[in-house]
Amino acid sequence: MNKTRLQQLEQLLEAPVVPKTVTAAEWEREGGKRNPEVGDTLHAKQGVRIITRVNGTELQVLETAASLTPLEERLLGYVLQHNNAKPVSSSSDLERQARRLGEWIQQSVTAGEWRAEVPDRMELRNRLFDGMVPFLLLCEQLDDKEPNYNELEKTIRTYISDETLLVPLREHEWLILSTDRVLTEAEADGDEALGHEETKEVLASLAEGLHQLVTGEWGGECHIAVGEPIVPSENVVRIVGTLRETIFLGRKFHVGMQVHLPWLVHLERLLSGIPEQVRSRFVEEMMGRPDLFTDSETISTLDAFFSMDCNVSETAKKLFIHRNTLLYRLDKIKHEAGLDVRSFNDAVLVRILLLLYKVTKRK
Amino acid sequence: MAGVRLEHVFKKYAGSDKASVTDFNLDIQDKEFLVLVGPSGCGKSTTLRMIAGLEEISEGKLYIGDRVVNDVAPKDRDIAMVFQSYALYPHMNVYQNMAFGLKLRKFRKDEIDRRVREAARTLEIEHLLDRKPKALSGGQRQRVALGRAIVREPQVFLMDEPLSNLDAKLRTQMRANISKLMKRLETTCIYVTHDQTEAMTMGDRIVVMKDGYIQQAATPDVLYNHPTNLFVAGFIGAPAMNFITGQLVEEGGSVRFRATGFNLEIPEGKAKSLRAKGYIGKEIILGIRPEDLHDEPVFIEGSPNSIVNASIEVSENLGHEALLYLTGLGKDNIIARVDGRSALREGQNVKLAVDMNKIHVFDKDTEDNVLEHE
Repeated sequence: MNKTRLQQLEQLLEAPVVPKTVTAAEWEREGGKRNPEVGDTLHAKQGVRIITRVNGTELQVLETAASLTPLEERLLGYVLQHNNAKPVSSSSDLERQARRLGEWIQQSVTAGEWRAEVPDRMELRNRLFDGMVPFLLLCEQLDDKEPNYNELEKTIRTYISDETLLVPLREHEWLILSTDRVLTEAEADGDEALGHEETKEVLASLAEGLHQLVTGEWGGECHIAVGEPIVPSENVVRIVGTLRETIFLGRKFHVGMQVHLPWLVHLERLLSGIPEQVRSRFVEEMMGRPDLFTDSETISTLDAFFSMDCNVSETAKKLFIHRNTLLYRLDKIKHEAGLDVRSFNDAVLVRILLLLYKVTKRK
Repeated sequence: MAGVRLEHVFKKYAGSDKASVTDFNLDIQDKEFLVLVGPSGCGKSTTLRMIAGLEEISEGKLYIGDRVVNDVAPKDRDIAMVFQSYALYPHMNVYQNMAFGLKLRKFRKDEIDRRVREAARTLEIEHLLDRKPKALSGGQRQRVALGRAIVREPQVFLMDEPLSNLDAKLRTQMRANISKLMKRLETTCIYVTHDQTEAMTMGDRIVVMKDGYIQQAATPDVLYNHPTNLFVAGFIGAPAMNFITGQLVEEGGSVRFRATGFNLEIPEGKAKSLRAKGYIGKEIILGIRPEDLHDEPVFIEGSPNSIVNASIEVSENLGHEALLYLTGLGKDNIIARVDGRSALREGQNVKLAVDMNKIHVFDKDTEDNVLEHE
């Protein structure tokens, strides 16, 4: 019990209250019951003793010289039992520890220490040795609508598992580490263990669900990136760097998307690293018509076409248009830009052009 | 249960000069099934997302029941949403997926169980409760997503293209299921779709949107028979209404519509209105629904002043009806919907009569339906 609470209790009882630690054997010797519980009372020589916490054979008690009626004793016991229902580590403790870890991660990322291991001084270190799925959440709600640590932590624990750790990083940015058993739970009954591609699918679904949950509860916009399972004690700095980069690339190249997957932004990462001059020259040389992509219909058609792996039927379905309408649009692009996206080489070029165009357009 | 009211609602995104939704005013009644329909980018999903609380409202007021909810978080609006991309939680079975929202809100276990089992019974997915999403078909997943919303027993359901991921057959089936379900639950429902068939078959009332503006809000019947403008007339109905640009002329005491292949006498009631509005001698756009072009001899004999002759370029026989794509009338193809048993074939010349009582006349500049505007 903290000092303020103790003082408040002293004022209520109009008598000093002293916290003490006794053993269960001593408690029993002085006339207490054999298996003591929180809220149990005992009349000792020094005054009334009441148990506030049971930690194995060690009992934390409060001792007061105040004279209490049996009803007051029972009420005090009831309140302590109720308080004790909370986890041993209160959420404020957890938040403080998580913030410390977050600060260390942030410092390590800034210093470029990608291989840094979580140091012993971090209280949460012992929770970071098992395989965990990392999510990076970037909330963009208005300040007054953004969830606080406790709300978010509770929601995420309910969603994924109790073995989930929420670590605040920068402002509006949270790292979520969840046990990788969640992947096993996603297997349909009787299935074999998930393959690599299936794991990625499940991770994407988990991230989609998380996005739906956060926006559905608090509204506003939020971005989520998810990575493959890691052992956080060794890799947490690196994964934060990777997931941050994934969100950055996703937002830069795919405006409108909120769930970003590191394994889907390889080309974007590559293009992002090319110097501006080289990119501009490439665009100039490749584009037959500089205004080709200013038409939003062409952009949405190409986006859908590439996202459907250049499958005409599936793209038409996705765009709610007739297959012939799509073919007409693709022919129009071929006619105007001289690039036929139904052929592999041209499709690669148009995909790169489209990605570069989106970046230049945003500037 | 509650109604929803939007008063002068605008949505403007930072960095954009144009509003995505402009001056949206609508009073949605308690227990009403309202459909927002329109082409991509018309603002229908943005409007729904504002009602859901997923998007900020730039201007205006949103009421759910009597309460202004502009600044209320989605979780506190007492709404439930079903989206096109129904992200079922992959690590939870169907029961847990449906129970999740209630668990988060700390409902009692027996209450959660009652609601989940009741919703599962309604959606006929009781036998799937132990399955993981991975083991479900598309239609089953969609029903679970619906179930997740139903168990919340919200004041308002919000659905954004919930059937888009399903194949045509399943869509038709689910369309009927959702309509039935909403009638039984007696809850207000706001449903977004780009599909006018879905809108016409499901909605008590339909709001047609374009470029962020409401074009018309009316019952399916009114929307179909009395479209307020060219856009609504063309958007509602499949095949779409035929539009022919031509001139209105006064001839021998009657008003006639003239265009390539057309010389039609306008019925006196409509002619009177067109005269009064000063359309004689002007170019207008005439709207004729495909089913208002008749090939039955009785109709042709009875309508000597509204006959057109054309040749059939393509004939699509769908069994119960045939669609004739006609040339020689106006600039574009004209489509006629005739009886499937009709013997008309491609390449044939055909004589058809226009049901002049059902024509629509649109102003060429404003595109308003001049016979519907006083």
